[in-house]
Amino acid sequence: MDLELLIDALVAGLLLGGFYGALSLGLAIAFGLLDVPHIAHPAFALLGAYGAVLMQGWFGLDPVLSGLILALPFYALGVAVYSFYHTTFERRGTDAGLRGLAFFFGVAFVAEVILILLFGIDQRGVRAPYIGRALVLGEFRLPWRMLVASGVALAIAGAMALWLSRTYVGRAVQAVAQDATALSLLGADPVRVKRIGFGIATASVALSGALLVVVGPVEPGLARIYIGKVFAIVVLAGLGSVGGTVLAALLLGVIESVMLSSPVASWTPAVAFGLLLAVLGLRPQGLFGR
Amino acid sequence: MPDLSVTDLHAGYGAVRVLHGVSLNVRHGETVALLGTNGNGKSTLMKCLAGLLRPSGGQILLDGKLELGDVPPQDVVAAGISLVPEGRRLFPRLSVEENLVLGAFRSEARATMYEELEKAWETFPVLREKRRQVAGSLSGGQQQMVAIARALMACPRVLLVDEPSVGLAPILVAQVIDILAQLKAERGLTVLMAEQNFQQAARIADRGYVLVHGEVAFNGSMAELTESEAVRVLYLGV
Ligand SMILES: Nc1ncnc2c1ncn2[C@@H]1O[C@H](COP(=O)(O)OP(=O)(O)OP(=O)(O)O)[C@@H](O)[C@H]1O
Ligand SMILES: [Mg+2]
Repeated sequence: MDLELLIDALVAGLLLGGFYGALSLGLAIAFGLLDVPHIAHPAFALLGAYGAVLMQGWFGLDPVLSGLILALPFYALGVAVYSFYHTTFERRGTDAGLRGLAFFFGVAFVAEVILILLFGIDQRGVRAPYIGRALVLGEFRLPWRMLVASGVALAIAGAMALWLSRTYVGRAVQAVAQDATALSLLGADPVRVKRIGFGIATASVALSGALLVVVGPVEPGLARIYIGKVFAIVVLAGLGSVGGTVLAALLLGVIESVMLSSPVASWTPAVAFGLLLAVLGLRPQGLFGR
Repeated sequence: MPDLSVTDLHAGYGAVRVLHGVSLNVRHGETVALLGTNGNGKSTLMKCLAGLLRPSGGQILLDGKLELGDVPPQDVVAAGISLVPEGRRLFPRLSVEENLVLGAFRSEARATMYEELEKAWETFPVLREKRRQVAGSLSGGQQQMVAIARALMACPRVLLVDEPSVGLAPILVAQVIDILAQLKAERGLTVLMAEQNFQQAARIADRGYVLVHGEVAFNGSMAELTESEAVRVLYLGV
């Protein structure tokens, strides 16, 4: 591979990784910090994407703006889903993990069916000034849609890191999976803390979902291809680390992108799992976990 | 009027009955030791007091009026009682400072968080040096200090401490007890401390209760306990 192609692939990979980061951050909270096996996370992102499609159809809104507006109802959705999960599964104890997995698998399935019923199986997209154009820097063409996705990803990461480290509830979200009983002895209600944490994670998914349809057209089955990637990123990162999640996402983006322009391109979809297995074997606390 | 009074308390875990009618009281400003060897129900009583375990019978009253037997831990903290739990239970992957700040989670405690944090650094200078380290990396004695400091961040009137000496070298045990004595003198805290280490407990406690098989086998001033060889040999193994 010549150098120019390699640099091209690296840059494209960083942008792709930024987008992956946006998709993974909510899961870093829901799974990494709150221990909820939320495999419906990409499905929620897809709901956010279709939400942006609808908002554009109805009001002609920009998808990123729609994502911001949708964050509010998504917060409520997260609170409702967690409350249901808690009362029916988590509170019952021991096998909650496995049964919870089944629950969220069901939620993802229902979300997909609803999308098929409402929108059909055809691809849907949105229009925006930054879609379909590129920033040309000498030899390089950087698609604006990817630049926007990466920029928004960094904004989400920054906001999340601040929230986790500077607010009482954010700190409690970090603490609750480490020792919920100890947290209750400090005057916090662990269930309420998890509810808020899951709400925030889901709110962020509205925005990253909007990025999904900025990056490319969506169809109802799209969420499935992201499940493996986002879980790989969150585990690679070291559960619950915001900075680690961004770095792991960039790493995956770069590796996938470089592989795509290499002779072994057909192996690209296996990269996420390969990386995950390698890291779990060598460094179980994740690349950036403490 | 006693600050904290427990009357005929019964508690256990499912079919396992552990406490069989325990009564005790801790008066304002007192330090009371809860003595007894392994498995006699000290921690079970502490859990009932902190709201972690629901008693099956009896009564827990704060200031003679507030019923605490059936409320969640958050409400116990709000009422002014904080527990330093058995095994310390820090958040191991959070920094020392983050652990302490979380101690001020209650909205009333947040207002005084910075002052309390400063007080904590003064009481535990070694923790100030390590405030950015994750709590899990500290030594046992330092972790115990974090646990005590974290509980104090809620500004409790009554501090419950469950076996602060467990797993610590003798010199560290003495250090932790010194700190409790200092806190008692400086802040007029009311303290109930579960402890197996009779000599160390005797250094700060005014009175003691000896728990045997979930019942109070003996209670009296620490002086009386020290004199009664029968009690010490039979129940405390010292
Ligand atoms: N979670 C639990 N489930 C069932 N039984 C328990 C549980 N915790 C404690 N027990 C039992 O209750 C009894 C009293 O235990 P407890 O922890 O109150 O004793 P302790 O006086 O604090 O002992 P130690 O000095 O070892 O801490 C013991 O027989 C113990 O096995
Ligand atoms: Mg105990």
